[in-house]
Amino acid sequence: MHRVTLLAPAGSPEAADAALRAGADAVYVGLKGWSRGGYRGELTRDELRETLRKAKRAGKTVWLAANIIPRPAERAHLVRELAGLADLGVDGVIVNDAGFLREVKRTFPGLLVSASVGCGALNEGDVLFYEALGADAVVLPGNLDPDEVAAIKARVSIQLEVMVHMVQQFIQLGKCFMPSYLHFHPTEKEEVGLRLTGSMKRGGVGVCFKVCQEPWDLYRDGQRVDRRLFPAQQVSRLADLGKFLDAGVDIVKLQGRSLPAELLALLVRRYRAAIGAWEGRRWFEPEPAALPSMWTVVGR
Amino acid sequence: MVRAGAGCTPVDVDGGGAMKSFELNTTISNRRNLLESDLSPFDAVYLGNIYCRLYEQNFLERLDDLREGIARVKEAGLKAYVTTYAAPRNNFLPKIRKALEVAASVPADAVEVHNLGVLRMAHEEFPGLKVHIGGFANVYTDAGAQVLKEYGAQRVTPNYELSLEEIDELARAVDVPAEILVHGKMPLGISDYCFLLDYEEKWGIKCPTLCQLDLFVKKDGWAMRSAGKGIMSGKDVCMLEHLPALLRSGHWAFRIEAAYETPAYRQQIGQVYREALERAMADDSYAAEERWWEVVRAHAQIGLCNGFYFGKTGMEYLGVQSGALASFTGRPTAVD
Repeated sequence: MHRVTLLAPAGSPEAADAALRAGADAVYVGLKGWSRGGYRGELTRDELRETLRKAKRAGKTVWLAANIIPRPAERAHLVRELAGLADLGVDGVIVNDAGFLREVKRTFPGLLVSASVGCGALNEGDVLFYEALGADAVVLPGNLDPDEVAAIKARVSIQLEVMVHMVQQFIQLGKCFMPSYLHFHPTEKEEVGLRLTGSMKRGGVGVCFKVCQEPWDLYRDGQRVDRRLFPAQQVSRLADLGKFLDAGVDIVKLQGRSLPAELLALLVRRYRAAIGAWEGRRWFEPEPAALPSMWTVVGR
Repeated sequence: MVRAGAGCTPVDVDGGGAMKSFELNTTISNRRNLLESDLSPFDAVYLGNIYCRLYEQNFLERLDDLREGIARVKEAGLKAYVTTYAAPRNNFLPKIRKALEVAASVPADAVEVHNLGVLRMAHEEFPGLKVHIGGFANVYTDAGAQVLKEYGAQRVTPNYELSLEEIDELARAVDVPAEILVHGKMPLGISDYCFLLDYEEKWGIKCPTLCQLDLFVKKDGWAMRSAGKGIMSGKDVCMLEHLPALLRSGHWAFRIEAAYETPAYRQQIGQVYREALERAMADDSYAAEERWWEVVRAHAQIGLCNGFYFGKTGMEYLGVQSGALASFTGRPTAVD
C-alpha cells in the first residue's frame, strides 16, 4: 500500500489552518499576483509566511499555485521571486506551462514541481511527457475513471494527483478561451499592479467571469430555439476514492480556494475519513451519501 | 508567377528575383467534404476533425478514407497534413496511433498535434513524420515552444490568445515558423461532452448531423458558434487588411479555418485570400478590394474580428477600412 497525500486548497490563512487541522497532509495556496485563482483566493507574503510556519510545526507541507503563464520578461522575475519563496519553506510549486515547468525544476531541483490540471493532461502520453520534463507530479481531472488512472499509473514513475473534488465545467480545464474572447477587465483595482498582463487563462488581469454559468440563447438557422446554461457539474468522487487509491493515485487533490474555512474543514474531514478507511481496509459509507450543495464550488 | 512545387506559391516580391512563398491552408473533416470542395485556392489541407470521434465519417476514424484523402490532396498538387484529436483520453490513443501509421505510410506531409501525449507518440514512434503544433497545445511562451521544438515540432500555431507582438517574439526566439489563423471562426474551447445531444429527441435530428447545423449561442450582443464538443468564435477572424503586416513580420503559413463551414465558404474565402496574399506580396500599396469585402461579409453571419492579434478582446475588430465593418460592428477602430 502506497502513501497517500490529501492536498487541500486554501484561499486564506484561516482556511489553511482549518484544512490542516481537519486532516489534510498538505495545502496549496496562491500568492497575490501569482495564480489564476483571483485576488480573493490569494495570500499576501506575510500570510504565506504564517501558513508555512503553522504547516511546518504540524509536520505538513505547503504548495504554491504558480499556475500563471508568464511572458519571457515576467518569467525571469518570477524565477527570482521563487528563489525567495523556496527559502521561506515552500515545498512544491504547481505550474501551468511546459517551458516554465522545466525551467523551475532545473533552477530549483529540490522543489517539488507539479503540472497543474490546467496543463490538460488526460492520457498516459501526457504524463510521460511531463515526467520527461522533470515534473514530480501531474494533476489529472476528477472526471477520469479509475481504470484510466490505473492504466496511466502502470506506465509512469512520477506521482499522480487526481482532483477528485472539482467543478467539471463544459470546457475542459485549461482549454477555455471564452472569457477573453468576450471581455477583458481587471477583477479588482488592487490587482492591476500585481497581475501579469494577458487573459485569465494566463493569470493576467482578465478574469473568468463565469460566462458559462449564465444563460445563453441557442439559435438554429437564425431562430431562437432554447435558453440554456453550458453544462457544469460538481464532481466529487468520494464513493470511488477507494478505486482511485487502488489504481495508484498518490495525491488526492480537492479544488476550492474559494471555500470558507468551516466548509473546507468539513470537506477535508470527509476525504480524510475515506482515505483512512482505505488504508485500514475498512468499508466506507459516505455520510451523507450526496454532497450538499453548500460545498460545491459551482457558481462561486 | 511560377508554381515552384507542391505546397507553396512563390512570388517575386521586388522584381529582383528573390522568391518568397506563402502557404494557404484549410481544414476538412471527412471524405465527403473533401470531394465537395474546390481546393484550387489552397496550398495545403489539414485532414480530420479534432473535436469529436463521432463527427460524421471523421478521417481520423476511417483510415481507408484518410489514406485516400491524403493521396487525393497530394495528386491535386497540395500538401496533405493529418490533424489529431485536441483532447484525447487514453482510449483514443490506439486509433491515433493507427492514424499516424497511415500518415507515415502514404506519406502525409506532416501531422498536427494539439496534445502533448500525441506529440510524444509521434516523436518516439514516427520520427520521420514532420510535426505541426496545433492551437490547443497551449503554446503561450518561447520556453514552451522551445520544449516542443526539441520534440520535433517544425511549425507552431501559438495559442489563439497571443497577440501578434507575442507571436513574433516567440517565433524569433525559438526560430520556429508560426502558423497564423487569418480567417474563420477561432476555436475557443473543447469539451468532453456534447450538449447538442440534449436536442436529439427534441428536434428529431441525430448525431452526427446535429453539430453540422447552423448553431450559435448568443447573449448580450455576444455570439459563439457551437460545434457540439467545441465552441468557436461567432465572428470570423479576418486579417484581410493586415496581410502586409503579417508578411513583413516574416509569417508565411496562413490558415482558413473551415472545419464547420460549407464548401462555398472554403472556396470563396480561400480565393479571396489567395488573391489578397499575392497582391500583398507584389504591391506595396496593398488595399483590400471592395469585391473581397463583399465575399467576406456575405459569409460572416455574425461579423468580423481580429481575435487577440492586437492585444484586444478577441471579438473586437481593429482596422482602417470601413468596408470591413459596413454591416456589423459600427465604427472601425484604428490599429494602435
